[in-house]
Amino acid sequence: MWAIETRGLRKVFRPLMGGNPVVAVDHLDLQVPVGTVFGFLGPNGAGKTTTIQMLIGNVYPTAGKAWVLGYPAGSIQAKKRLGFLPEKFQFHDFLTAEELLRLHGRLARMEPATLNRRIDEVLELVGLMERRKSKIREFSKGMQQRIGLAQAILHDPELVILDEPTSALDPLGRRRVREVIQYLKQRGKTVFLNSHLLSEVERSCDYVAILNKGRIVKQGTLDELLVNRSVVTIELSQVTPTIREALGRIAQKVQPIDERRIVVEVEQERQVPELARAVILAGGELISFQAQRESLEDLFIQTIEGESK
Amino acid sequence: MWTIVMLTMQEAMRRRAFLGTLIILAALYGLTFLPKAFQQALGGSPKSFELGVNLMILFGVDIIKFFSSVLAILLCAGAITSEIERGYLAAILPRPLHRFEIFLGKWLGVMLFCVANALVWTTLLWVSVALQTKPRAEMWHALPYVLLYPMMYGTVALALSSFSSAPIASMFTVAAGAFAYFADHFLRPIAAFFDVKLLQQLVSLSEWVVPMAVLKRLVQARVDTLVPPGMNDAPPVGSEVVLHFLNPPVHLLDLVYVGAYLLFWLLVGLFIFQRRDVQ
Ligand SMILES: Nc1ncnc2c1ncn2[C@@H]1O[C@H](COP(=O)(O)OP(=O)(O)OP(=O)(O)O)[C@@H](O)[C@H]1O
Ligand SMILES: [Mg+2]
Repeated sequence: MWAIETRGLRKVFRPLMGGNPVVAVDHLDLQVPVGTVFGFLGPNGAGKTTTIQMLIGNVYPTAGKAWVLGYPAGSIQAKKRLGFLPEKFQFHDFLTAEELLRLHGRLARMEPATLNRRIDEVLELVGLMERRKSKIREFSKGMQQRIGLAQAILHDPELVILDEPTSALDPLGRRRVREVIQYLKQRGKTVFLNSHLLSEVERSCDYVAILNKGRIVKQGTLDELLVNRSVVTIELSQVTPTIREALGRIAQKVQPIDERRIVVEVEQERQVPELARAVILAGGELISFQAQRESLEDLFIQTIEGESK
Repeated sequence: MWTIVMLTMQEAMRRRAFLGTLIILAALYGLTFLPKAFQQALGGSPKSFELGVNLMILFGVDIIKFFSSVLAILLCAGAITSEIERGYLAAILPRPLHRFEIFLGKWLGVMLFCVANALVWTTLLWVSVALQTKPRAEMWHALPYVLLYPMMYGTVALALSSFSSAPIASMFTVAAGAFAYFADHFLRPIAAFFDVKLLQQLVSLSEWVVPMAVLKRLVQARVDTLVPPGMNDAPPVGSEVVLHFLNPPVHLLDLVYVGAYLLFWLLVGLFIFQRRDVQ
């Protein structure tokens, strides 16, 4: 069983008053294993939020099917087992933090005793314990996002879907979200999240899928996708054609930045020392040599730019 | 579903609906001067004082009808689409609830709120009458039928709100009410006196479309004894048929029709809400 499975999922928005229909999601096949942290990435307008709304049952697919934990998306059985933080969250702001959680606990049909215990737990987790009696209206944007996360995990769901959980958070808040995600993962829960903060995703996700124009263009574990492709920035007193040639024999890609610096990409990590040797042998005067594993951001940008060519 | 009902009522409270309550309090208070004023104007006989009290009850019931309808329209018109646009529903809907529970919860919440308000207002009317003369019960007899007004307009507004924003839903509901009022109070006498068949059919049709005149007659049947002689008498001219047209009798079936009408709009709203995207 998958935590999330979609087959041929498609959504077309047709404007009521004429205009061109928008294909927001197109033939999406997604399989999210239970117990993983899954990053759902893509540029603005790629269709991430629309996909998530279809998984929740807020939006109906034009075609295709989706299952959540083995139940049809949007069914009561599926909704019982998931927690959700919307992208454009807006909670009843005349309630206090505690009242809002109580409301959501009742809607999730939690036992009163369990609910009281969980309210304390999740407020502690998201760091809003001292503000539990404050009205949501008085909360800052980031605090509202935290209370949103709190209501999403309140009923201890098996699957937590987060649409941009850290967009309004400070670095401390983001770290806290990472901790919450780890806490969920340790307890065997599945987390499906969508974020533009790729370094965050890189730190907390096992799997990623990159969506562009409604279609999946890359999918896999982080380790698979970021295979040993290493990028090295080399600084020399002067970049000569001889050095460039020498590097070119080893590297996959050589890109001079200016007359002193050059960026080199190799297929495998073990080739990095060879680069240093090649520079020296070609008579280069090495000033600095910085190797880094290709980041998710590089992969993302390459993938999306490669698509649009 | 009760959680949604409670939430809706809480929202209604918060939306300063009680401001409306203050306005109607003022209106009812103004009415309390009516009997005295009537008595003075008509030479001070106890009979004219009684007439004033009767009118006070009649107007009071009318005011309650009007304001509870306005309240219902205001609360229902923004219940679905506006809540979706503001993002409230997107956070509620992922909870294990059927959409119909949310819809009916909202309906029930607004209706209970309107009933509570109408109860308070009717009590006020009753007290202010009882303070001036002996206690009267007509407003209580009329109350169940008066409540049909907010129910009807609220249900229509809620159905419209399932696909249109609050201003549009309330505008169309008010327009429907205005149309029904116009048909009943202007078209009907004209159609009767000049005996224009087409107009008469139009008036009957309007009653089917917006059965406000039916509600009016149902309420009137409860407060009939209060209407001063000469005010609602049959016109001196016209055939039996015309008279019947001007003042149709009240049937039990009318009530059944109103029930079916409410059900129809509830189902329309439910059907649309069930099928639409919530974003
Ligand atoms: N209600 C709607 N009506 C018409 N078009 C819509 C609607 N909702 C979304 N779209 C379109 O669908 C596409 C996908 O939107 P979506 O919100 O899913 O993107 P996203 O990947 O979440 O983007 P972002 O990263 O900016 O949040 C966009 O082109 C958007 O304009
Ligand atoms: Mg989005």
